Amino acid sequence: MLKRPSSRRKTGQHGITLNLVPILDAMVTLIGFLLFTMAFTALVTIESPFPVASTKDLNQKIKEKPLQLTITVKQNQTEIWSPFDRINTRVIANAEQGQPDYRAIHEALISVKQQFPEESQIVVVPFPGASYDVLISLLDSIRLTEPSDPPVFRRNTETGNDELVKNLFSDVVFGNLLGDS
Amino acid sequence: MAFYRSIRSRRSRRRLSGSFDLQLTSMMDVLVIILVFLLKSYSASTNSFTTVPGIKLPVSASQDIPSDSLQVIITPEGMTFESERILDFIQTEAALGSTEAGYAFKNSDLDEEGRRIVPLYDALVKARDKSELLRAKSKARDENGNPLPFEGTLAIQADKRVQYDTIRKIMYTAATAGYRMFRFLAIKREM
Repeated sequence: MLKRPSSRRKTGQHGITLNLVPILDAMVTLIGFLLFTMAFTALVTIESPFPVASTKDLNQKIKEKPLQLTITVKQNQTEIWSPFDRINTRVIANAEQGQPDYRAIHEALISVKQQFPEESQIVVVPFPGASYDVLISLLDSIRLTEPSDPPVFRRNTETGNDELVKNLFSDVVFGNLLGDS
Repeated sequence: MAFYRSIRSRRSRRRLSGSFDLQLTSMMDVLVIILVFLLKSYSASTNSFTTVPGIKLPVSASQDIPSDSLQVIITPEGMTFESERILDFIQTEAALGSTEAGYAFKNSDLDEEGRRIVPLYDALVKARDKSELLRAKSKARDENGNPLPFEGTLAIQADKRVQYDTIRKIMYTAATAGYRMFRFLAIKREM
């Protein structure tokens, strides 16, 4: 009588093959959904409130002399100044391309921030013909700090520790929405 | 003749010998890579802001992702509010052959000494009324049981050539219609 062949030999001949077709179907459906719903341009935002008139008494305000940092963008130059003369007015000529010198503006604002680390408000007064591109670049140089910037520290009144300032002047309002004076 | 017959029979034998198996593993590898890439870049596209063809947005280093709100899109050709064209600009002579935008408002589109844009004001007031009506019907209430207040946020998406004079007219118009917060949209700068 012949010996029965080993069952191990049979199983060894055919490896288990995973059925990839349903997984493939699911992946193709998922990729189709993602491609259909995703936006390829990532949008970011810069927020600014509409300016509201101060309720403080003008005499009180004159007495307090707030910084009220203002940046006026003109066709050929940019001025950084304070209506209450808290800082020396800086006039920065436009760069060679005819656009504001964002680098110089940024550096001037860092020096102001070092003087007034608690201050976060700035009034922007662009000229009517300034393009949206100029406006966004200007707001970037006003609001954000860069890794290469000198560090600015602010005293935390609650903990008593010095903290690194992450934003320059993040609260931006436009000063000439009713027209140019 | 016998030689050709033998080749033909060999071919037919090979065709019949077994079923054809498509190698799906390499295809799976490619699809997994695409899927991972799409899922990674998907997080940056959670808002529902639409755009119009031909608009050139400026680039910003800001990292703030805008949340959903009403939006107005301005190009040198016209203005769109919530995917609906509300006004067309007049193209000036300066626009011909120039890279800068040359456009102007029609006189009938402005009032209040040229500060307010009438079609935009009408559209904003309508949207505000609709929003307030929905809030009044909604079950969501504040601490005192009143309907949630109108947020009054307007996203402004403008072509990089659009002038500040137009932007401030939009801001003034929106403020008179009860919108007090503005979001300037731009394309995220790649770091």
